[in-house]
Amino acid sequence: MNGHDTLFAQLSTLGASVTLLFGVVLLWRRSLGAYIEAFRWQSLVLSAVFALVGYYGHDHELYIVAVALLALKVFIIPWYLKRLYQRVGGEREAQPYVNIATSLIVAGLLVMLAYAITRPLVMVSKLPTRGGIPLAVGLIFVGLFVIVSRRKALTQIVGFLVLENGIALLAALCTYGIHLIIELGVFLDVLMGFLVMQVIVYHIRNTFESIDVEQLNQLKH
Amino acid sequence: MTFLFLLFPSLIAAALAAAIRRYRSLVGWVNALLSLIALGAAVKFADHAARGGGASVFGPGELLRADGLSALMMVCVAAVASLALFLSPGFGRESQYSPSQLRRYQFFINLFIFSMLLTVSANNVGVMWIAIEATTIFSAMLIPLTLTKPSVEASWKYILICSVGIALAFAGTVLGYFDFVSLSGRAENALNWPVLLASAPSLHPEVMKLAFVFLLVGYGTKAGIAPMHTWLPDAHSEAPTPLSAMMSGVLLAVALYAVLRWKVVVDATLGDGYTNKLLIALGLLSLVVASFSIVLSRNYKRMLAYSSIEHTGLMCIGLALGPLGVFAAMLHLVNHTAAKSMTFLLAGRVLHRYHTTQIKGVSGLLKTMPGTAGMLAAGLLATIGLPPFGLFISEFALIRAGFATGHPWLMGAVLILLAVAFVAIIGHLNRMLYGTPPEGVAVGEKGGRSLALLSLNVAVLVTLGLALPAPVETLLNQIVRIVSR
Repeated sequence: MNGHDTLFAQLSTLGASVTLLFGVVLLWRRSLGAYIEAFRWQSLVLSAVFALVGYYGHDHELYIVAVALLALKVFIIPWYLKRLYQRVGGEREAQPYVNIATSLIVAGLLVMLAYAITRPLVMVSKLPTRGGIPLAVGLIFVGLFVIVSRRKALTQIVGFLVLENGIALLAALCTYGIHLIIELGVFLDVLMGFLVMQVIVYHIRNTFESIDVEQLNQLKH
Repeated sequence: MTFLFLLFPSLIAAALAAAIRRYRSLVGWVNALLSLIALGAAVKFADHAARGGGASVFGPGELLRADGLSALMMVCVAAVASLALFLSPGFGRESQYSPSQLRRYQFFINLFIFSMLLTVSANNVGVMWIAIEATTIFSAMLIPLTLTKPSVEASWKYILICSVGIALAFAGTVLGYFDFVSLSGRAENALNWPVLLASAPSLHPEVMKLAFVFLLVGYGTKAGIAPMHTWLPDAHSEAPTPLSAMMSGVLLAVALYAVLRWKVVVDATLGDGYTNKLLIALGLLSLVVASFSIVLSRNYKRMLAYSSIEHTGLMCIGLALGPLGVFAAMLHLVNHTAAKSMTFLLAGRVLHRYHTTQIKGVSGLLKTMPGTAGMLAAGLLATIGLPPFGLFISEFALIRAGFATGHPWLMGAVLILLAVAFVAIIGHLNRMLYGTPPEGVAVGEKGGRSLALLSLNVAVLVTLGLALPAPVETLLNQIVRIVSR
């Protein structure tokens, strides 16, 4: 049993690390196509983590969650994102608010912050997956940073999706997921939220002729 | 059973709007009448709670639950929903919206109402989260109804900031559940409020502190608490008027309800010192930001939106001042709902006539629209806390609670900030009421129905301001008991 637990712990931490790394890609690359690919791969690894937790945690509901995650975030959402990207034009993140080198340093600091903040959680938890909890919170912070420091609406959407992945990872690692119905409801909400964002990005493109959010600054006092 | 009467009418209304291809004003009338059924159900719940009845539950795994706090929120939501639906565009022959816009409007606004009612009747923390996210999604579809540049900008900020906020609230929910799981293992109804509350005293303080921070930041974003409020003035000023009235009037209150429910759980673990400090800090910040923004406002709808932030800040502070403060804050919630929804709907009428939202573009209101002008004055004076309107009483009670719990300097600061907003709004109101009307603005008005309906709000405000009715007082005391167990 102990051998199993250690393998489980190692695999889950590995999965969490890879997920975080794919999130950092959003701060490193500049093309929107790269962001979509990074998100797809991240979601793939995430559903593998869910399946892993389902296997070792003896909770078969998580297999359903893993499949739903796969369908939603590896196939459906990226398909819509690619279509949106084609229609809205190939703008690159030419000048984000924070440059790449600084962004990567900030990402490192955010992960350190996540480790500091989640110390009580890691100490309280008795689950073998607890090593990955700081990484999940780090991913949440990285997602937030992407939203705040990037200028294209599409990048902000991917940042939001990465944030949601971080939260799902947190749920998987610290509570072995939550009840199936709630998890599915959350996925539905994410899908609908994404679709609404997509609609609004089309509106932005049509009324402003660009998806640079810098120009969304007309509403003042 | 009553839950079905509460929740189904808005679903049926949305289905009706979707089914009838070419929008007819019949849809508007039927939907407005359906909302009255929901209002009746809400009043029944409130009545049951005020008579001291226990919480009613419904559904598999006790999915829905209505105690005193839920009942009060249901009545607020359903009342403003009915008001907004009766005063929605699309009843008469002429309207500034096209039939397809009206159809979209009726569809999404009824789904929006449904999700708000679900939020306050949900017993399960996860379901409540899903419902609040749904409110963001449905209202975000409506803000860009007219596809102007400002409305698109407003809707983008709204959906992005609020979705991020709600996502963080979910992280907080997961952390709260995590603590429960690490203590008692996964249980069937673990995400239900009574179960969480029962096990709260044995949860780990450090974890619950972290969870509450995520929850306050997350749900606080939706409630318009500074510094997460930046989406609010844009969204509330660019949305179609009945939606603004509902967003300012009840949606902020519903988000605050979520914060309050979690506060009760976290307080059972930590004692109320920690949450109180956080609420006072953010509430005070909201008051500061809002008061000074009101002074600088050039757009009357944005001014009203900032006023909503101010009142949310007040309510946060009130919730942190012990039982007296909770009573004052909940009374303030009801008063603010009545006053703000009325004021936004009246502002909509002004916009319709003057075609501008700039304060300097509106003058001579008393000459061009005397009825609206009078009621707008009443609404604004109510909002800044003048007697005989209810907000005076609730603000007074709040200040009293502050002094009673030993926060004299805080109350001093609150009074100064309220005075700043008071003076600023009176100044803006004067600029709009008096003077000569601009060229091209028609004089005289005949909108009997709207003004008659809105006078109900004035009646509510005056009643609450002069003599708090006994059932309301009982209900509020019940809520204080629920919150400070």
